[in-house]
Amino acid sequence: MATVVRMPQMGESVVEGTILRWLKQPGERVAKLEPLLTISTDKIDTELPAPVDGVLLEIAVPEGATVRAGTVIATIGAVGERVAPATPPSVAAPAVTAPVTTSSAAAPAAPTRDTRPTGRAFISPVVARMSAEHGVDLAQVPGTGLGGRITRKDLEAYLANVRREVAEGEEGAAVAAPEPLPQLDAEDVLEPLSTMRRAIAQHMVLSKRTSPHVTTICEADMTAVVRHREANKRTFTRNGATLTYTAYFIAAAVAALRAVPEVNSRFTDAGIVRHARMHIGVAVALPDGLLVPVIRNADELSLAGIARALNDLVNRARDGLLKPDEIRGGTFTITNHGTGGSLIATPIINQPQSAILGVGAIVKRPVVRSSSASLLPSADDAIVIRPMVYLSLTFDHRVLDGAQADRFLTAVKEQLENWEN
Amino acid sequence: MADHGYQYDVVVVGSGPGGYVAAIRAAQLGLKTAIVERENLGGVCLNWGCIPTKALIHNAEILEELHNAADYGFSFDNLKVDFGKAVKRSRDIVSRQTKGVGFLMKKNKIEVIEGHGVFVDSHTLQVTPSEFKPEAKEQRITAANFIIATGARARSLPGTQIDGDRIIQYRDAIVLKEVPKKLIVVGSGAIGMEFSYVYSTYGAEVTVVEMLDQILPLEDAEVAAEVQKVFSKRGVTMLTSTRTEKVEIGADGVTVTVKNVKTDEVQTLTADKVLMAIGVQPNTDSLGLDAAGVKVEKRGFIEIDEVMRTNVPHIYAIGDCTGKLALAHVASAMAIVAAETIAGAPTLPIPADRYIFMPRATYCDPQVASLGYTEAQAKEKGFEVKVGKFPFMPNGKAQALNAKVGFVKIIADAKYGEILGAHLVGPGVTELLPELSLAQMMEITPAEIARNVHAHPTLSEVLMEAAHAVEGHPIHM
Repeated sequence: MATVVRMPQMGESVVEGTILRWLKQPGERVAKLEPLLTISTDKIDTELPAPVDGVLLEIAVPEGATVRAGTVIATIGAVGERVAPATPPSVAAPAVTAPVTTSSAAAPAAPTRDTRPTGRAFISPVVARMSAEHGVDLAQVPGTGLGGRITRKDLEAYLANVRREVAEGEEGAAVAAPEPLPQLDAEDVLEPLSTMRRAIAQHMVLSKRTSPHVTTICEADMTAVVRHREANKRTFTRNGATLTYTAYFIAAAVAALRAVPEVNSRFTDAGIVRHARMHIGVAVALPDGLLVPVIRNADELSLAGIARALNDLVNRARDGLLKPDEIRGGTFTITNHGTGGSLIATPIINQPQSAILGVGAIVKRPVVRSSSASLLPSADDAIVIRPMVYLSLTFDHRVLDGAQADRFLTAVKEQLENWEN
Repeated sequence: MADHGYQYDVVVVGSGPGGYVAAIRAAQLGLKTAIVERENLGGVCLNWGCIPTKALIHNAEILEELHNAADYGFSFDNLKVDFGKAVKRSRDIVSRQTKGVGFLMKKNKIEVIEGHGVFVDSHTLQVTPSEFKPEAKEQRITAANFIIATGARARSLPGTQIDGDRIIQYRDAIVLKEVPKKLIVVGSGAIGMEFSYVYSTYGAEVTVVEMLDQILPLEDAEVAAEVQKVFSKRGVTMLTSTRTEKVEIGADGVTVTVKNVKTDEVQTLTADKVLMAIGVQPNTDSLGLDAAGVKVEKRGFIEIDEVMRTNVPHIYAIGDCTGKLALAHVASAMAIVAAETIAGAPTLPIPADRYIFMPRATYCDPQVASLGYTEAQAKEKGFEVKVGKFPFMPNGKAQALNAKVGFVKIIADAKYGEILGAHLVGPGVTELLPELSLAQMMEITPAEIARNVHAHPTLSEVLMEAAHAVEGHPIHM
């Protein structure tokens, strides 16, 4: 009995993937979990492991081809098994002229090619072919036929819905009719959009359109953190981790999320989802764009744990080795734009989260310290030089109001200023 | 049903194949149900349409076989044909069938109320004696829900009155005392072609006048051409693209002036009778729909949604009075959805675009059966189509039956194989259609039909071959 390999769904909004390279060729043996191929989506490049032990019988989608998630891309069979031809020779049907991605579904009766999803009473041949071509998980499609059967119309409605959702992430006009090529002057060049660039563009527009953004800013004295880091970074390095300031900001954010849990949430029409877990996304700049790997369950990690997880994610992000799971599911995001020297920024919320913390550069600045509580000039006032940082919280005003945002930011500030081990 | 203070949960107005089926389904689901009928149970279908015509047509088929008796080695020279007996046979069947409906009403404890119902308000029907039921008791009945199933009646040309003698409609044509010498049939839909078949076989000189450019204008062009060939051979004159301008009754017949809309050529035809078979108009004008607040469109058909609900949420309408597809089985299908919706039972709504895929049948010889789009319509709709066609000629069973004409034509979507249309003409094809209508509904494609083993020798093998032909590989060709 052969096993089909499908293009996986690599993220909530990722609907297709490109085959970069087949690491095995038909006829070769594969072991379960052994890398079978590398694929690329608009978010990430990754290796896909073989789901079972066996022999690669057939590659259905060649290198370089882009197919929708769910499309059958290969067949793995038992040792000695042969790939069933799309049209068994004993049957008088002509070869199906459909594109290669659908050929597997064209003979639903062939036992080795049963692409029908399980758990449904009856999938009509028309629906089977359509869903195979479009890579649709039929379990997601509501059926309106007798006994809940999925009809062609149901599937078309579902696909139209998906298309609409995708379109909502893009500029409507761009979907309806592609813009004409821009006029170029003599020396100008037109650089085609990379999939990552396009995804970032879509996501940013979507976010700006979805959430009313408000930004609140405060500053924090980093003396305690700097002192702690100076004292501990060598130990960390010995243990194989680099202790960056970002790790402190993550730890401070986790503490603040605990203090003001409303921030760890997402807006839906049905209500505001309060996340129990804290999965912190960290923006990582790449030469050709931006990725936001997620530190899962950051609330369970010590500073060392955070630092180690962060190092690992950042390194693999730069090497293009992140797994799909590692770039999704965040509940809150931090962007340390200060690493480039920026003092203050108002980042765009990473949808569907409710807020994003922007961290500027830590610079020594003169600040006034005083033991007097009065704002009036006092003999106790003194100008001192301190490592200072601007913190900005950009939040979704549908979910949060200024008061909660400021409480959160103040909690971050206090955590940083009073850092103890 | 809940205690709503009305006499009935549901009152069905009209007892044709829509109305009586609705009443039965409603009663099955536990609703207190009554049905109002101003004439006879069973409506047009049982009394004047489907059933009696099939009886006459079978007579015609036997008669035609007798004409071909020499082919089978039979000869006789004293063949006597009694048309009156044919009509009597058809009326006997009608009376048995309507009794059957009466029995079903009783069995399901459905109260049958005789008389003509008119809405007084949206929950009240005033029932008065009708021309067919002068003894009916005058009464007011109230119901929580109504299902309007009042059907339709023959339409005539503007300015031409159907008098039941010279200018007749199907109700008259079904009970003629004798075969007219010359008959002009205006309209070449199912009704026109079926009566043309019966009367031409019984010896009438028949002329069919059709305004559109093919007979059976709703059918696929190739099917129409096949029927036209056979009817021509039978001696029926068919004038297509021809408009009936004037119908005048004279002392010993009717004069019909027709004009070819392409050439503007005018002809004057004479006949003993003219049969108007140009379509139907809904019986919605004397129902008090205004008082009930039920909306009709400009031709008078009642507007409904996919569960047969009118704009008044507790009033439903089914069948010919909704102008969807004026066929008995369509009305019955709509009836079940309406009754189930009222009862709150699970149902399968019928969206407006499903009606085209319901089976259509014309019982002339050769028979015509179809569903879905014609080839031309499918292309017009923008489908890329694959067409498979297979004739009855090579089929052994067809030859045994002495049937030499006809074919099965299947139109499928080239991409996913969905059946978009099926057009059958030939022996017994009305009985072959269900396999295709089931396949169409369940989105089974010609590939599966071709692999479905069909018994040999049967006419149904032609279906299988046509399905193979869609894929390009018929066997017996």
